Amino acid sequence: MSKKIIIELKNVWKTYQMGEIQVHALRGLTLKVFKGEFLAIMGPSGSGKSTAMNMIGCLDVPTKGEIFLSGKDISHMSESNLAQIRGRKIGFIFQTFNLLNTLTAKENIKLPMTFQDIQSEDREKKAEQLLEMVELGDRMDHKPTEMSGGQQQRVAIARSLSNSPEVVLADEPTGNLDSKTGERVLDFLKRLHKEKGTTIVMVTHDRKVAEQSDRMEYLKDGIIVKNLKR
Amino acid sequence: MNSDLIIHSVKSLFTRKTRSFLTVLSILIGIMAIFTLISFGLGLSKYVTEISTEMGVDKLVIQPKSFGGISIPEKQMSQDDVDFIANVKGVRDVTGLMIQSAKIQPDEDTKPKYLFLMGFTTEKEEKEIFLELMTVDLYSGRMLKKGDKLKVILGYNYQLPNKIFEKSIRLGEKILVNDVQVEVVGFFESVGNPQDDSNIYMTYEGVEELLGEEQGYEWIMARVEPGEDPKALSEKVFEKLRKFKDQEKGKEDFFVQTFQEQIEMFTNIMRVLNAVLVMIALVSVFVSGINIMNTMYTSVLERTKDIGIMKAIGAKNSDILIIFVAEAGVLGLIGGIAGILVGYGISSLAGFAVAQAGYSFLKPAFPLVLIIGSLLFATITGAGAGMAPAIQASKQEAAESLRYE
Repeated sequence: MSKKIIIELKNVWKTYQMGEIQVHALRGLTLKVFKGEFLAIMGPSGSGKSTAMNMIGCLDVPTKGEIFLSGKDISHMSESNLAQIRGRKIGFIFQTFNLLNTLTAKENIKLPMTFQDIQSEDREKKAEQLLEMVELGDRMDHKPTEMSGGQQQRVAIARSLSNSPEVVLADEPTGNLDSKTGERVLDFLKRLHKEKGTTIVMVTHDRKVAEQSDRMEYLKDGIIVKNLKR
Repeated sequence: MNSDLIIHSVKSLFTRKTRSFLTVLSILIGIMAIFTLISFGLGLSKYVTEISTEMGVDKLVIQPKSFGGISIPEKQMSQDDVDFIANVKGVRDVTGLMIQSAKIQPDEDTKPKYLFLMGFTTEKEEKEIFLELMTVDLYSGRMLKKGDKLKVILGYNYQLPNKIFEKSIRLGEKILVNDVQVEVVGFFESVGNPQDDSNIYMTYEGVEELLGEEQGYEWIMARVEPGEDPKALSEKVFEKLRKFKDQEKGKEDFFVQTFQEQIEMFTNIMRVLNAVLVMIALVSVFVSGINIMNTMYTSVLERTKDIGIMKAIGAKNSDILIIFVAEAGVLGLIGGIAGILVGYGISSLAGFAVAQAGYSFLKPAFPLVLIIGSLLFATITGAGAGMAPAIQASKQEAAESLRYE
C-alpha cells in the first residue's frame, strides 16, 4: 500500500475559550487523507466535525498539533498564506451552498480564479466548462436566488473545482436538500471521484450519505473512535 | 489588482440602492458646494490676471487719504501736485481725474439721480492712461476732444432701459446734469460693475463749467518710464511729494500705490471671503466622509458571511480590503461626478444671474484641473473613509465569519 497522503492531521487539538470555561472541540485528532480517495467523516452534532473540517480546509489553525498539506506543515501559517493555499489546493462545498447572491452563477465560479490572478479569458472559459459539466449551461447568468437548492449546490460544486484543487471538502452537501436532489448532488460527487480521480472529503451525520464513500471515519468528542470499513 | 473585484464592488452598491443613494447625495452636496465656490474663486483670479495685463503693470495711482472706500475725499490733489509728479525722474505721463457727484436727469420731468461725474483730460498721452485704468473703450459715438464743454460720454448702462432710468438714452440726445443741458456724444463699453457703468464723463473744462473753476483731482494716475520698477518708483514719488507738500512723515494726506497693489487689495478681500466659504464647504465634505464610513461599517457587518465565503475560496486579506475600499471610493466618485454636474449648473446659473445684476466680472471658471481635482478629492475622501471599515472586514476570521448568519 503506497498510497500518497495529501492531508495529515497529527494529534490536533482545538480549544475554544467560552467565558471562563475551556471547550475542547478536538482532542488529539489524528487523520490521514489519501490521494484519490472519497472519505466520509461521520459524527453526531457537537462531535467536532465542523472544527475538523475547518482544520482540513485550512480555514483555521490548531491550538496544538500539526497539519500537513502535501507534506508541508501549515499549522503555523499566516492568514494570507492560508488563503492562498485554500484558494489553490482546496475546494469547498457547504451545506448552505454559500454562493454570493449578488453575483450570477458564472461570476460565482469565476471568483476563486480571480483571487488567483488568472487571466480573464481563461476564467471565462473555465467557468463555462464547469457549468456545462454540472449541467447548468443554460443557467450561467442566473443569480443564486433564481435557482433551486439543487441547482445552487451544483454551482457550488462547479465553483469548488474552478482552481483544480487537490481536495474537495464537502460539509453536509446534502443537508439542505430533499433526498432526491441530494442523491443527484451525491452522484455528481461520485462521478467526479470516479472519472477525474478527485480527492473528496465529505463531512456528514447521515449514515446513508456517508456510505456512498469508499472510506468512513467516525468522530466523537473530538477524536476518531472507530474505523468503519465496508 | 483585479478589475473583477472592482466590478464586484460596484455591483454590491447597486443591490443596496437606497442607502447608496443617500450616501452619494451627502457627498454630492459637499463636492457641489466646493466646486461652485472654487469655480468663482478661479474666475475671479482669471479676471484679475486679465485686468492686470489690460491695465498694464506700468501705472501708479496717487490718491488723497479718505475714510471709507467710495466716498469722495474732502481734500483733493491739485494741478501743482500733478505738475510736480510729472517732473519726478522715471515718470512718463501724469494725469488727474476729477470725481464729483452730480445730479443727473434725462429730462426735467424725471426724478433725478445722484451719480459720479468724472472729468478727464483731452491730451492724447494722458487720456490713454485714464482709458487703460478704467479698462474701457468707446462703445459708440466719439471721444471727447479739446474744446468740448457741454458734451458728455455716458457709461454703458444708460443705453439700457430700466437700468438707471426707465427710459434708455440715445446718442445725440440732450440730458440734464446739475440742471444744465448737455449733449450725449458717446457711450463707453461695459466695465462689468454697476457703479462704473453708471458714471458720466466730461472734459475738465466741462466739469468746471458746471461746478466752478479750480476743481481738484481725486485721483492722479501716472505711467512709469519703460524699464522702471513701479514699486520702487511709487516709494520715490511718495517721499518726494511728501517733501514738496511739506508734510510730516506718517501724517501724509495722500498715498501712492502701484496699480498692481490696488487690484490686489481689492481681490484679496474677495479671495479671503472665498476661502472662508470653501472651508465651510469642506466641513460638509468631512461630514459626508463620516457618512460613508457609517455606510461601510453597516455594509461590512451585513456581509460578514460573504467575507467568510470569499476567504474560504481564497481571498487574501488584501483582496477583501480592496473590495471594500473600492466600494467606498466608487461611492465617492459617483458623488463627485454628480456634485460636479450639479455644481456646474449652479455656478453657470449664478454667474448668469450676477452678470444680469451688472457684476459681469464675477464669472465662474471651470478649468480641467478643477474638474479632475474635484473627482480625485471625492474619490479619495470616499476611499479614505472606507479604509477603517475595510481593514475591519479584511481582518475577520474566515471560519468564524462563515458561521455568521
